[in-house]
Amino acid sequence: MTAAPEVLTELQGLRARVPHLTGAMVASTDGLVIAHLVTGMEPDGVAALTAAALGVGARLTDAVGHGGFRELLVSGERGYVATYAAGSSCVLTLLASADANVGRLNLEARRAGARIAPLIDGALERPRQAPVPPPPRTSPPRIPPSRTPRPDNQSGVTS
Amino acid sequence: MTNTETALKDAMSSIEGALGAALVDYGSGMALGTLGGSQSLDLNVAAAGNTDVVRAKLRTMEMLNIQDSIEDILITLSGQYHLIRLLTGRGGSGLFLYLVLDARRANLAMARHQLKRIEAELEV
Repeated sequence: MTAAPEVLTELQGLRARVPHLTGAMVASTDGLVIAHLVTGMEPDGVAALTAAALGVGARLTDAVGHGGFRELLVSGERGYVATYAAGSSCVLTLLASADANVGRLNLEARRAGARIAPLIDGALERPRQAPVPPPPRTSPPRIPPSRTPRPDNQSGVTS
Repeated sequence: MTNTETALKDAMSSIEGALGAALVDYGSGMALGTLGGSQSLDLNVAAAGNTDVVRAKLRTMEMLNIQDSIEDILITLSGQYHLIRLLTGRGGSGLFLYLVLDARRANLAMARHQLKRIEAELEV
């Protein structure tokens, strides 16, 4: 996905602005990593778990008649995991230590989610509006995203 | 004894020049209640930001080995006063009252006195 470097820049900005942020990730609602700044754990696993939690969260808000999904905050003994909607097809997941300022985390994440949404939706819309010209021979062929786990990408960007 | 809503209403109506008031949990940085504010003064942003102010001061006191507690913090802008008053006792620890005042209309001594009274009566 062509939006990944811009999304990664957004995540780096978040990490610089929010104290006690230990990880950040943008994933599709079906659990595929788009960009991440996560160390010490498998981002694919976190994205898959996020997708599962998201499904329950969305059904819960729907069941009680509170509309669509917006945010999910899980507080653990040693930190927080927060997931925010970023457009219709993606979510922003943040990991923060227990010392984090949740109010600040919410404010920054909502703003970042709103900025990330057009980047991703734009990247998804583009191929549909204008067919992508055949790639030059030097570049690798485009592989459609799949649910199978891929080898860890050192650059932090998966496409 | 008053609840959060009554305390915030009291602060906004009895303190001359009050522009906004909030009760904030500095453990999480989230506001338990807000009153007033405007387009240019988002009290939830203020709650999160001033949580960092309170935490920084507490940390500084710890580093200086000062065994004391913060009663209030005054921030003087050119056009506004920002008052932060930490709650004491009755399950109110970990919270602060935040008050924004118009510097031209407010009487700082009176505002501080009133906020102390409101804080003493507040039960969360």
